[in-house]
Amino acid sequence: MVNLNAVPPKNGRDYYIAIGLEGSANKLGVGIIKHPLLNKHDDGDYSHDCQVEILSNIRDTYVTPPGEGFLPRDTARHHRNWCVRLIKKALEEAKIIHPTLDIDVICFTKGPGMGAPLHSVVIAARTCSLLWNVPLVGVNHCVGHIEMGREITKAKNPVVLYVSGGNTQVIAYSEKRYRIFGETLDIAIGNCLDRFARTLKIPNEPSPGYNIEQLAKQCSNKENLVELPYTVKGMDLSMSGILAYIDSLAKDLFKENKKNKILFDKESGEQKVTVEDLCYSLQENLFAMLVEITERAMAHVNSDQVLIVGGVGCNVRLQEMMAQMCIDRSNSKVHATDSRFCIDNGVMIAQAGLLQYRMNDVVKDLSETVVTQKFRTDEVFVDWRE
Amino acid sequence: MSLPKAVYSSRDIEEKLFTVDPNNSRYQTTNGKTTGPSEWVLNAGQVDVDRPSDPRVKDDVSGELTYLSKLRTNLTGLQDDINEFLTDQMELAKKKRIKNEKREMQEQEKRIDDEINELLDGGDGEEEED
Repeated sequence: MVNLNAVPPKNGRDYYIAIGLEGSANKLGVGIIKHPLLNKHDDGDYSHDCQVEILSNIRDTYVTPPGEGFLPRDTARHHRNWCVRLIKKALEEAKIIHPTLDIDVICFTKGPGMGAPLHSVVIAARTCSLLWNVPLVGVNHCVGHIEMGREITKAKNPVVLYVSGGNTQVIAYSEKRYRIFGETLDIAIGNCLDRFARTLKIPNEPSPGYNIEQLAKQCSNKENLVELPYTVKGMDLSMSGILAYIDSLAKDLFKENKKNKILFDKESGEQKVTVEDLCYSLQENLFAMLVEITERAMAHVNSDQVLIVGGVGCNVRLQEMMAQMCIDRSNSKVHATDSRFCIDNGVMIAQAGLLQYRMNDVVKDLSETVVTQKFRTDEVFVDWRE
Repeated sequence: MSLPKAVYSSRDIEEKLFTVDPNNSRYQTTNGKTTGPSEWVLNAGQVDVDRPSDPRVKDDVSGELTYLSKLRTNLTGLQDDINEFLTDQMELAKKKRIKNEKREMQEQEKRIDDEINELLDGGDGEEEED
């Protein structure tokens, strides 16, 4: 039995309010949400339907010049210098004047992610907790994505494809854990796309992956894909070799290395492949691999729903390919969210954190708030689900 | 208000106390010497839009900084002191490591030379028992 109303809201109210702080990578997010106290949550599996109201969802991204990634030290500095300003803005937008009285719980990302940025944000969370006398909850970033996706799409028990700059996992829920069915063996899909964007020296704003998607849309030769390694290994996949290979093609293209017969015509030396073609082929190849392992996971758990979460989940082409597979499979359905919830944000941390809080899972001592770079999705005990 | 301070203690060195001198400009700014963007990103053409906000002056006529702004400026200087101290410690540790590695290398080379010479002199490479 799951009782999401085990901990009553503060001050006899009929709703809960949570603030979420996220900063595991280059996005700093502060989100404030409200859950109404509902009778149906006394007993039953309704954690996907909390009727969440988003009071504020503020985000600021640390952006680097074209060709550069984000370094931990500079990303942490960005979070440190913006965190208070973002919290103030989020409170203002949510019309919260007395956080001590109005906020039930402060949720922060405990991991996984980059150590230094995580550390910057947890210091802000601890400070607010002491300042306002509000309890803390440490949240697994991946679980945050999953719970936000479930709440927004109302998908009750989907196979989850979690695709972002730091993670690539196919996940399904079973017996109080989000079990990882397949994952990357080396780099994440978003990292593969971002690093290719760096090779192409295209801007990092709004995001490198988005700019690759736009270039791929401009591909005029969609019938002739550039052949790339297809590296599905059972339920897992590998992307570092694909990146190395397509990087070498891009470099040959820029150097106009006519000896490369994939890029230039053998006889005339005429260019056959453009940067747009490379972007399109890379996306098609990587996404086909993701679709394959997701379909296999659906067969394993006999599910007819797919939920795509994480920054790469915004990619419309990935959503299209997944939707096609779902239709071909049994008229099943793909669920995805837009950039407000797909890309790292504070609201998702608040959503997962509030579920934890409502099950009475709070930090008892500040020593429990130490952040960690390695925190696997299946380490979390999901007691808010049957 | 009382001034913030910091103490560094370690098994290897004497305890070190860091204090704030409120009259020194180092403790009157939110832009620290060691807390700026890294050289790497600046060389890559980064425009620094992530600077800390300036300290806030009280609304009255005193022209003084607010309590929290004063604390922030004090802590910025204190953080610089700590960062510089820790960087120096890292340099010392690095030099010590290089020195040790060099010494170990020389000892190893000497041992190999001795063994070769012993073999050339007709020994069997085994140490003789007394």
